[in-house]
Amino acid sequence: MKLYCLSGHPTLPCNVLKFKSTTIMLDCGLDTTSVLNFLPLPLVHSPRLSKLPGWVSKDGSANLEKELKECAGRVFVDSQPEFCLPERELLDLSTIDVILISNYHCMMALPYITEHTGFTGTVYATEPTLTIGRLFMEELVNFMERVPKAQSATCWKNKEMQRMLPGPLKDVVDVWAWKRSYSIQEVNSALSKVQLVGYSQKVELFGAVQVSPLSSGYSLGSSNWIIQSHHEKVSYVSGSSLLTTHPQPMDQSSLKNSDVLILTGLTQMPTANPDGMLGEFCSNLAMTIRAGGNVLVPCYSSGVIYDLLECLYQFIDSANLGTTPFYFISPVANSSLEFSQIFAEWLCHNKQSKVYLPEPPFPHAELIQTNKLKHYPSIHGDFSSEFRQPCVVFTGHPSLRFGDVVHFMELWGKSSINTIIFTEPDFSYLDALAPYQPLAMKCVYCPIDTRLNFHQVSKLLKEVQPLHVVCPEQYTQPPLTQSHRSDLMLELQPPPMPYRRCSVLNLPHRRRYERVYILPELANSLVPSEIKPGVSLATVSAVLHSKDNKHTLQSVPKPPPVAPSKKRKRVLEEPPAVLAPKTLLSGAVPLEAFLATLQKHGFTEVKVEETADGHILHLQAEDTLIQLEEDGTHIVCDNNEPLRTTLRDLVLRFLQKL
Amino acid sequence: MDRECALLLPGVCAVLAGSGSSLPDDTSLEKLLDWFTGITEAGGSLLEACPCLLKLISTVVHNAASDPGVLSFALRLTGLLAATEESFKTIQEHSVLNEVFNLQHWQEAGLWEDPCLRIGWIQGLRSMLQHPNALSFFVQSEFIDPLLQLQTDTSLFIAAAANQMLAHILLFFQPVPPAGCKGVDKKEKGDGMTPSSADYTAVVKSISGYLQESLVPKESKNVRQSLQTLKLLALLLAQAGPPLRDKLLQTVGDSLEELVTAGSSELTLPLMDVILSACSSSGTDERITRLLSSMLNINKPADLIHAAAAFLRRGHHDTVHTARAVRILLLPLDIMTGQTLLGTISTADEHQFSVVEQLKSKSSCISMICVCLSNTPQITLTPPDVLPCLPVSIVTAVLSLLKICSGNSPSSSTGCSEVSRNVIGSGKVQKCALEALTSLTSSPGAKERISEVFTVLIQYLENPDSDPTVLHKSYQALLKWTSVCTDFSFITDQLRHDLVEVVKKRVCDMRWEVKDSTVEFLGHLAGVCDSIKAAAEECDASEALLGGCSTTPLLREALQDSESYVRASAISALAKTLTHRWQQGATLTEEEPEIVSRLLEILSQDSEGFPRRAVVQYFISWYSSHSPPSSSSSSSSSSLLMQSVRSVLSQGRADLDWEVKVHTLVLAELLLDEAFSGHPGYKKGSDSHHASPHAYSVVSESDLAVVVEQGVVSVLLSGLVDCDRPVALKACRLLITLRETVCPLSLGALDASAAMATVSCELPGCGWGREIIKILKMKKSDQAKEEDIADQRGLNGAEEGGDSVSVCEALRSLGLDERMEVLTQSSDHIHNSPLSLLQDILTASATHTKPGEEVIVDCY
Repeated sequence: MKLYCLSGHPTLPCNVLKFKSTTIMLDCGLDTTSVLNFLPLPLVHSPRLSKLPGWVSKDGSANLEKELKECAGRVFVDSQPEFCLPERELLDLSTIDVILISNYHCMMALPYITEHTGFTGTVYATEPTLTIGRLFMEELVNFMERVPKAQSATCWKNKEMQRMLPGPLKDVVDVWAWKRSYSIQEVNSALSKVQLVGYSQKVELFGAVQVSPLSSGYSLGSSNWIIQSHHEKVSYVSGSSLLTTHPQPMDQSSLKNSDVLILTGLTQMPTANPDGMLGEFCSNLAMTIRAGGNVLVPCYSSGVIYDLLECLYQFIDSANLGTTPFYFISPVANSSLEFSQIFAEWLCHNKQSKVYLPEPPFPHAELIQTNKLKHYPSIHGDFSSEFRQPCVVFTGHPSLRFGDVVHFMELWGKSSINTIIFTEPDFSYLDALAPYQPLAMKCVYCPIDTRLNFHQVSKLLKEVQPLHVVCPEQYTQPPLTQSHRSDLMLELQPPPMPYRRCSVLNLPHRRRYERVYILPELANSLVPSEIKPGVSLATVSAVLHSKDNKHTLQSVPKPPPVAPSKKRKRVLEEPPAVLAPKTLLSGAVPLEAFLATLQKHGFTEVKVEETADGHILHLQAEDTLIQLEEDGTHIVCDNNEPLRTTLRDLVLRFLQKL
Repeated sequence: MDRECALLLPGVCAVLAGSGSSLPDDTSLEKLLDWFTGITEAGGSLLEACPCLLKLISTVVHNAASDPGVLSFALRLTGLLAATEESFKTIQEHSVLNEVFNLQHWQEAGLWEDPCLRIGWIQGLRSMLQHPNALSFFVQSEFIDPLLQLQTDTSLFIAAAANQMLAHILLFFQPVPPAGCKGVDKKEKGDGMTPSSADYTAVVKSISGYLQESLVPKESKNVRQSLQTLKLLALLLAQAGPPLRDKLLQTVGDSLEELVTAGSSELTLPLMDVILSACSSSGTDERITRLLSSMLNINKPADLIHAAAAFLRRGHHDTVHTARAVRILLLPLDIMTGQTLLGTISTADEHQFSVVEQLKSKSSCISMICVCLSNTPQITLTPPDVLPCLPVSIVTAVLSLLKICSGNSPSSSTGCSEVSRNVIGSGKVQKCALEALTSLTSSPGAKERISEVFTVLIQYLENPDSDPTVLHKSYQALLKWTSVCTDFSFITDQLRHDLVEVVKKRVCDMRWEVKDSTVEFLGHLAGVCDSIKAAAEECDASEALLGGCSTTPLLREALQDSESYVRASAISALAKTLTHRWQQGATLTEEEPEIVSRLLEILSQDSEGFPRRAVVQYFISWYSSHSPPSSSSSSSSSSLLMQSVRSVLSQGRADLDWEVKVHTLVLAELLLDEAFSGHPGYKKGSDSHHASPHAYSVVSESDLAVVVEQGVVSVLLSGLVDCDRPVALKACRLLITLRETVCPLSLGALDASAAMATVSCELPGCGWGREIIKILKMKKSDQAKEEDIADQRGLNGAEEGGDSVSVCEALRSLGLDERMEVLTQSSDHIHNSPLSLLQDILTASATHTKPGEEVIVDCY
């Protein structure tokens, strides 16, 4: 059992598990933090961004004025943003049989894996994962294609050049592997390979293993996976949550008794409690609105935003925000809000039961009905005519590099009465804000990450008790900035096996058993004999038939009756190589009784020597040795076959025959 | 005992003697006993007044079918009757005593199993044991052994009562200490009261023998007995005079030592109680001191901390042990925070090692740290030579602990990380530490750390994970530290900015508790600032803390809050914030009229009582702190006030909430005070209805007219007929004060009223107006009957309803004094009278004997 680790990002994993004869990819997350090195893509011409000075090295030797721009002491690539893909050189991606997706955040690299690599397998995901994942991909493509960039900067990637660059750009690795966004055709093609599965549905892979998704409680349709054969069980835990938010609660009990548990997707904010952050979000929002400012919330178009809207729905009245407009701007805003209402079976019990009332499960429907929440595909069109301030705007992308959020940053950034509230934990807010400096706007960082924290995960592991745990190396030590917080790491016995990008782990689990079926008629013919109470043995002669990784013992075909008339070659008339099997022996030779027997049969001069494993009997007159050991008896005599046979028969008297 | 009761009592006794099952409810016997106790305590002799009681006792005791409850009652009654020597003799002559307390009899009858009877037996004896004869009886009857057995009775109540009883015997009858010696406080005993020393010695011998024997548990399951015995010993030692105390200590000394050595966790605290009681009474007994030292050296860290805390709580001034206790309590803090509170611990201390081990477990860590924290304020107040460090280091340690708790401690912190992780995010420790920090303001040198204190507290307010109660405690700590601060120069712009921002944020919090605490804080801060201002004119705390940020807009916003508590707190906070301006007679700000109109809106429309009460109180504090209009600048303020007070009076009067009405009456009282304060007949304070009348002073008519015009008289009259007793009572008192001021009854009716007759008050034709008219008419007709004069003066047109009435006439004719008498009695005074009790018992038994009729008794 081997694990190939193609991504080093703990919450955007991409691992490949080789288990029995199958090759299974677990998630294919796309690390988008690379876009922070690029200049934002403004929807409307931004004089500020276009006037940024080009970068020239101090000695003037490197001139990348066209490709690199400088803003507030940092250098950004002026080109279409690029993403850091999972490692593609570690193993041949065309050999992958299946890809299991755990949630819509962890499938953004799918087109890079399934297209142009020779991939011919199947992708398994739940329905909401596919639907919302598609929305996310479409949104990404839309954001990029809406603002086409003529040039594509590549000179800076030159090794010699990169070495001279300042700041974070100098240190990024594998820049040549960075890729621009995929196209909508690639998205469609990749997603056409997805096969839908439901929670606890068992999918057979080539008869060798069975995979099954379990609810993980993190987002709509998010799943953990069980990969098991008859005798081995591997659990893949990715992005799980024990908080009661909108999704169905996490199924913990099915994870019990795993041989290996691969643990990824823990919270990125172990010190920020989601409840506290939600409170912080609301109070900062109210504070800004009361002071007449606008609030900008950079966010993804699905997920936490549902909880934010629900929380605001309750908060609006108590904070007297009844008249403040809330805008949700995204090319997929409408679909996201509407899809969320139809996935009733994937929601928490509370919301499921609302469907029978009948009421929409999420209260954002009421916000829309009462005109408190309005959604638009983009800032162009209807929005510009209905836009009223002060207001609250939810829009993407949380990296602040593309999407409508860029426009609001340019619009509101200069005034200190406005506030930007970061709720997505994926990007460092300081890095996200870097190309907008100097900024007067107030910044509030309340990352809401509902995934498991260390406290919860150690409780969970105590509960489900896997034999081995594999996790990203980041989880095995406290965060760099809080090295004294030993409570912010995994402490397990035995210690977890850490992995990093490009690791290949030999999972410690050894396969020891295989299930073999036996046909009824063959089973009938067996003659078991009890060798110790409760344990019976029988020998079996059969033909092992293996197909689709299933093994069956079938009766040995009887030799065809010899045709009486025709004479055949002698060779053919010989029975085929079906020899009667030798009898098997069991039991132990009792020393005293054996010595007595030897005596009776005339072997008088016997010297007994004790060894580590048993005894050596030296028949001095015959110059012969009998080694009696726990699992074997050897008679060593020189060229005296009759003597050996006599001795052998004496030994056999003491053993049971099967 | 009044005649009526005395007449009913024999009947009641008959009922009780018959069968107890017909009692109206199970509290009647208790009530009856309470009544008897009251009579005895007042010095009356029950036996003389009701000889039937003795008969009752003897009948009940001999009746095999008596209810255990009634039996228990009989036992206790006997004790009560036998409490004086005289009655004791009488009872003994009737040979009732032996029968009543005859243990063997009860055991044979199988009644002893009933806890009711056992407690009756103990309590009966306890009441009786007030004189030497009783003690002799007790000793001769050999009751001491059964009583000792009851000390470990299965019923906790019985066991506790037995313990009390044992203590009572030893303490009550101990020989009177020589004069000048601080002994037990008891009545002086005559010669005849001194118990025969033989009896007392016998009792002391048995009890101390028992103590010695039962103190050390023979098996682990006997811990309960040790526990009880320790409790008894603590009771005894706390009050015993020297001879008894020495005798006791001598007897139990060895056992105590054995217990200390055994070191059972369960017994640590009771044992400590005993040793400390012994310590405080015996002073410097060497053995006790040694025991104390051993207790402060036991090797179970958790027990040790509790023992040390118990020692400190008692406030002993023994330097050696105090120093030891202080070190024990500071050690966990030292380990966790890495602050060297104990100096360098030179001996690689085994104790320290075991404390660290203990602290690694989360639950014991939290409980130990909390004990340490709650003792820190007291530790800092111990004399400097006892402290291993400066008090200010303890403040620093508490601050470090607070930082660790919130996860904000710097990585360089030298504390034990394996230990400190146990308290990260623990609300319990946070609350404890904040409480400690609040009390630490009074520690010497604490003010040196004030800047750090503010930083940490603001961090706590800022922390998104802080629990509402933690935030509340942080605010309290901040206020306390502000109140002791005289120099605000340490407040940096950053600190000020942070505080302003966090307060602004917290008033928008999702949780109403947090909003409420924040709003409350703003109010209290204004109050604290005022008091500081009064002390030192030049420093302005509010300015220093919040900069130029005015809190009024935040509070005005909170007036709109959806939670009634927040609205109420905002109103009180506004009042506190504005008090200073009112006192100075400052000009009206632009926002004040807006606030006032919002407040009146709340008073008239809010569905919850709290905000409405707060509104009336707002005007009370405005009215009581405003300065009379001296300059034109403040006249606008005064006229706004008077105008709103009128609305408050008329709306508050009609409110549904009785507290709003009472507050409205308080406001009315303030107006009365102002109107008549110059008048010698007027006494401030509503309980002044006994003020002596001043025949010569006549209040000017205009003063009364003003009060009427303000609506004060209407408020008082409507209050008088209110169905809520506190409202009616308050109104009645005020009306009497008013009457004594403007038209005292002692003056001739014609005399006084003549001047005032012209001042009249409008009465509405419905509601309270009609009630008042009804009363007046009734009084009138009574008067008419008596005097046969149809005097219609002052009531012209009142019969038709909805008209005016002469104030003086009303005041004189409303029968205020009789009303007052009725109102001062509690509403259930009739139901609670002994007469009613006796009647109930009789009635219940009467209905009980009539079959087919069921009586449902409402016992509340």
